[in-house]
Amino acid sequence: MSGMPPLLEAHGLVKRLGGRLVVDGVDLVCHGGQVLGLLGPNGAGKTTTLRMLYGFLSADAGVIRFEGADVSRQLSRFKRQLGVCTQEDTFDGDFTVRENLEIAASYFRPRPPAVGRRVDELLERFALATYAGDKPEALSGGFRRRLMIARALVHRPRMLFLDEPTTGLDPQARVAVWDLVNGLRADGLGIVLTTHYMDEAERLSDVLTVLAQGKVAAHGTPKSVLGDMLGEHVVVLPADGASRPAVATWLDAHGLGEPLTVLGAWHLPLSGEQLADFAHAFPALRYEVRPPNLDDLFLKLALPCTA
Amino acid sequence: MHGLRAAIEWQSRAVVGRHLRVYLKNWHTSFLPPVLEPITLLLAFGLGLGAYMSSGIEWHGRSVGYMNFVAPGMLAYATFMTAIFQSLFGAFIRMRYQRTWEGQLTTQIELRHVVWGEILWAALLTTTYVAIVGLVLSVCQAVGLLQLELAFLPVVIPIVFVAASAFAALGLCFTALVPTIDHMNLPIFLVILPLGFVSATYFPLGHPVLAAISIANPLYHLAEGLRGLLLAGDGTGHLAGLAALLAVMLAVLVPLDMRLLRKRVLGD
Repeated sequence: MSGMPPLLEAHGLVKRLGGRLVVDGVDLVCHGGQVLGLLGPNGAGKTTTLRMLYGFLSADAGVIRFEGADVSRQLSRFKRQLGVCTQEDTFDGDFTVRENLEIAASYFRPRPPAVGRRVDELLERFALATYAGDKPEALSGGFRRRLMIARALVHRPRMLFLDEPTTGLDPQARVAVWDLVNGLRADGLGIVLTTHYMDEAERLSDVLTVLAQGKVAAHGTPKSVLGDMLGEHVVVLPADGASRPAVATWLDAHGLGEPLTVLGAWHLPLSGEQLADFAHAFPALRYEVRPPNLDDLFLKLALPCTA
Repeated sequence: MHGLRAAIEWQSRAVVGRHLRVYLKNWHTSFLPPVLEPITLLLAFGLGLGAYMSSGIEWHGRSVGYMNFVAPGMLAYATFMTAIFQSLFGAFIRMRYQRTWEGQLTTQIELRHVVWGEILWAALLTTTYVAIVGLVLSVCQAVGLLQLELAFLPVVIPIVFVAASAFAALGLCFTALVPTIDHMNLPIFLVILPLGFVSATYFPLGHPVLAAISIANPLYHLAEGLRGLLLAGDGTGHLAGLAALLAVMLAVLVPLDMRLLRKRVLGD
């Protein structure tokens, strides 16, 4: 992957909205055939970053390149290569499912070739053919998402932006969307995905960019991001146990700060060395050791906001 | 200049094409208002109210039958109301509730195309309405209800298109400013309805204050200009005033629409 030129790259993106610095110097890179997961707690700047990337908002500073070319000089040509599935459904309620795909195709030049055939193909691929003559409001949540993604693909883009594509879906519908995203990656599309579901980010993303307070907090594969930000292990122990003061002192002494507290339990992300030290310091303490996951990372990033 | 060029770019036409496609899906109900409204108004104002004015109305030193006076005013009123309501309610619903704009803005369509698409669509729809009203007036003339200079009716069409564009730009300003659809009552009852009636559309402006204010009122010049064309074959003075006011409106309101809607839609 590293030998291929990136499809999309952004450097030093900055955006202020209403006088507030929402995105502060974000860099990211996405290659064709790759899913880039953009993660972060609420207010981290994910959607604003995504909106700048697909040209909905202009950046106050920084540059976005598509195949090496600055997109601000040829925004319309750049947008011809993009498909966007927004967080909220924005399909056209005046039209049927089929007409929604047709009308979306009319918003692109050069015109997508053989639109009728392309629409049939998408209806088939996204299992929407049965509902082709129905209004989108008649569809279930899962099929509405399918329509949104199908609409984003009608003009055969090379980059796809998915802003929380499975929010509000039941597990079956989520898995169906995951399968579709996997298939699109296999087709060679570059995909930028934001999500609140950590299992989704872990399963789908080849590479993660983690945002916190408008800045990139970590970047890399899910495993390397977790290793860099949390360590290799998470120790889980009751937060109200008798050992609490001693553990808090130990954390302070090791510069680990406030522990994550979830449902009355402390979750302590530790490196292998720290775990050995912890085991040595508390030989009689009962606790669970598990590998870290993105939920731990999410909670760690969200901690300053919730404190 | 950049904003003006957007009016003729393909993206603005694509937006108009989308609105036209929706309109044609509902053509059987969409054509009812322009056909029935003038008939109703002619009957109510012309025959009903006009019956009390058997000697007619004095207009530019000559006596004119009330129905003849009101018919050109109806064209001006239809131009104003159709353009404003389309850019007010139609655009607000597409922006806020249907999220049509947001969907369009994720494609090659930019905000300036959405704005021009809404203005041009309102102007096209208004011109179609007025053309249908013109046909209804022609039928009324054929049955002896009106005596108008109908040869000038084709001249009305381009005038109406430009005037409707400027009125739609005004409507979009309100669309950008009102927080909810309920707040539409403010511009409607404080600006639009008073302007619609106090513009020599349905009665002449005799009061000196109203007459003075009307100099800067484009709807007044539209009503009097169309009346001049259809009653006397000459409305040059008012049409020149109208052209100047419409040019100022478009030059000021379209950039203002862009600015207000950028903040409202993009949050930028």
